[in-house]
Amino acid sequence: MDLKIARLVAVLWLYGSATGAAAAAEAPPVPAEVPVGRSPEEKAPDADTVDAATVDADIASQELSGDAKVRLDAARDAVVQIRGFFEESESSAFHGSGFAVDDGRRIVTNYHVVAQAVLYPRQYRLEYLASDGRKGPLNVLAIDVPNDLAIVAADDFELPSLKLRSEIPAQGERAWSIGFPLNLGLTITEGVANGLVENSTVQRIHYTGAINSGMSGGPALDRRGRVYGVNVSVVSGRQLVGFVVPARHIPPLLARAKQPLTQSVSAQQLRQRVTAQALAYEAEVLEARPDTAGTQTVRGYVLPTQISPHVACTTVDERSPHVRVRVETVSCSIQSRIVVQSGLNVAGLSMQHRILQSVGMHPLQFERQVNRVAAVPRRAGASAHVAPFACRDALVSLDGFDARISTCVRQYRLFAGLYDFDVTVVGIDDTQQALVSWLALQGVAFESGRRIMERYLGALQWTP
Amino acid sequence: MLIEQIGPHRQPLLRQRYTGAGAECRVGRDLGCDIVVDDEHAAPQHAVLTLLEDGRVSVRDLGARNATRVDGKLVPADTGVIVEQGEVIVGRTRLRLRTRHTPIGPERVFRRDFVRRHRTLLAAAGVSACIAYGGFLQWLNAPSSMLRGVTKATLVVFGLIALWTGLWALTTKLNHGSWQVRVHVTIASIGAAFCAWGYWVAGLVAFAAQWSVLVQIGVAVVGGAALFALYLHLRQATHYGRRMALALAGAATLVIGAIAWVIAIGVEDGDVNRVDLGPQVRLGAERVVPNRDIADYLAEVDELKRAAARERQKSLLNAPLADADD
Repeated sequence: MDLKIARLVAVLWLYGSATGAAAAAEAPPVPAEVPVGRSPEEKAPDADTVDAATVDADIASQELSGDAKVRLDAARDAVVQIRGFFEESESSAFHGSGFAVDDGRRIVTNYHVVAQAVLYPRQYRLEYLASDGRKGPLNVLAIDVPNDLAIVAADDFELPSLKLRSEIPAQGERAWSIGFPLNLGLTITEGVANGLVENSTVQRIHYTGAINSGMSGGPALDRRGRVYGVNVSVVSGRQLVGFVVPARHIPPLLARAKQPLTQSVSAQQLRQRVTAQALAYEAEVLEARPDTAGTQTVRGYVLPTQISPHVACTTVDERSPHVRVRVETVSCSIQSRIVVQSGLNVAGLSMQHRILQSVGMHPLQFERQVNRVAAVPRRAGASAHVAPFACRDALVSLDGFDARISTCVRQYRLFAGLYDFDVTVVGIDDTQQALVSWLALQGVAFESGRRIMERYLGALQWTP
Repeated sequence: MLIEQIGPHRQPLLRQRYTGAGAECRVGRDLGCDIVVDDEHAAPQHAVLTLLEDGRVSVRDLGARNATRVDGKLVPADTGVIVEQGEVIVGRTRLRLRTRHTPIGPERVFRRDFVRRHRTLLAAAGVSACIAYGGFLQWLNAPSSMLRGVTKATLVVFGLIALWTGLWALTTKLNHGSWQVRVHVTIASIGAAFCAWGYWVAGLVAFAAQWSVLVQIGVAVVGGAALFALYLHLRQATHYGRRMALALAGAATLVIGAIAWVIAIGVEDGDVNRVDLGPQVRLGAERVVPNRDIADYLAEVDELKRAAARERQKSLLNAPLADADD
């Protein structure tokens, strides 16, 4: 279920870039007149304003009108639509939003909006479309995969830039988001910022507001018209739940954005760079040892729950496969929010422990149900992204019980350093009760996956 | 000498015996011949077979346009040949020739007499074993609806066996004039029961020994049993010789196996989400191999890195990445 949501989110992100991803839009009801005219002499004095950003007028002095229109008009010229084209095609293959910062020559957007152009530089080209109808080619200058940010620039333009705000808005602050949802033209939505998402591996601000796919990369504005973040994603199937990348991650990236990436490195190196960024994040988040190794005991089985920090567990009320089988399920996961490619999330972890109990079944009958539960397919992946699994199974003595362990590993096609792990553990001692446990790692380094697996197997235990 | 005209399955169609030195048998389409053949490739007066004093036979061609052959060899037009036995071909008609020089082996013992004598019992046993397997599966999967399940399994088994044996019985009737239903039911049901139970037992043993090759051996045994059953059906229902029956049964087994494989595994290429968990687990079962400890198993898992890389290489060869040539 978690995986499904993660995948949906990933797909949405993808389409967000392609068709206008739903992004959290925070539009300040205050008349934050975002100065769109570019005047270099104006320096933002606020401590929470990133110094690189320039504004036309002092927003702070403006009266708050509470009108989204004011905010939209102020930001209009700074926001562009970013479109990707396949080879010589005239109709766009994907599109998203972006906005000018700094000296007005550089545009901030999401990494996932421009991912195709980064990974397949010879196949895709990027173009911007400004509010006044100007268009021209774009180059990617820098990427930040874990924070899903990218800096792009064109040779020939200067836009009025937006001012950045590095502090996280307080919960309940009104906010607006601007972008090009579903290719419908420039749009502003209004909502409320709800602070940083708790227990998330990456910093995301939760935004409650109308969200539509296609706004990825667009600015999220506070009441004074400053950019507090970048629209990034929504939870599909839920209403008005969106996420925004905090603006504080933009300046470090701007500092790195010197020249077009495709001029300095090959496509191969770009892919390696994406892999390296994802793996650095994965090592930090998945592989990190938690402060206290959390476990949960169910029917004598000690089940690992907190094998990494950030793991969130729920006891799922799952439908039993059979009337005479009782199932208790503990599901744990770290939701992957890192997109390396359209529809491909990495650095995810899912774990599911199921204790099956027979209600007066014959051992042969119970065994049938156990095999059935163990074989339920839970993995997902497209042959465009991943190679087939290689598997190895054996009977292994764990702490207090014997188990059949089947481990399957597959490598990513485009990113040779990333692997998926799929480990199924089935307890085989008892004829009336069995543990079926499953660990899935998504987009990890092989060695890292092996260490997490070791931690997981070492923690499984049975005490009578 | 004994002359038999034989059919396509080497079965005798006509038989004539000649005694006394100098006895002559003319073969041809002419009504004056001793053996009149209804064969447009034979001459009106095609060949003459004469019994000599020493008991051998002289075969002479009477100048037919399609020369007479003995055991595949042309008979010289002027001299003829002298033989003790053989197959004489006149046009397209085959005559089997025997003389007192032809060796006669000892009589064959009825090896399959047992099957014939107990065919009712054996057929019943085979059908019961099949129904038992159906019921067993039902009991494993849905023990709460046993009665319905067993009824269903019985009907399915009866239906399939009826269809299968019906086909073979019809073939037998056309070839031999009798139905032989019980013999075919015996072959079909015992074969099927052996395959089903054998495969189940192979799974059990494979887990106990932790040797997944055993499952493949199980599949091979099942295939062998199917081949043998088909062979018996063919021998029973047709006039084919052993080699021909074996070849046909082998071909049919391969075709059936391929169909089963396509149904079970599918022809879908490179499904990236399929995992191989290994043999089905048997709870609390006796095991032959000792368990590994975690460290040993993890060392084995390390080998998966190379295996996964191989899978990736294969996948890249199959479907190269776009824009990969840098």
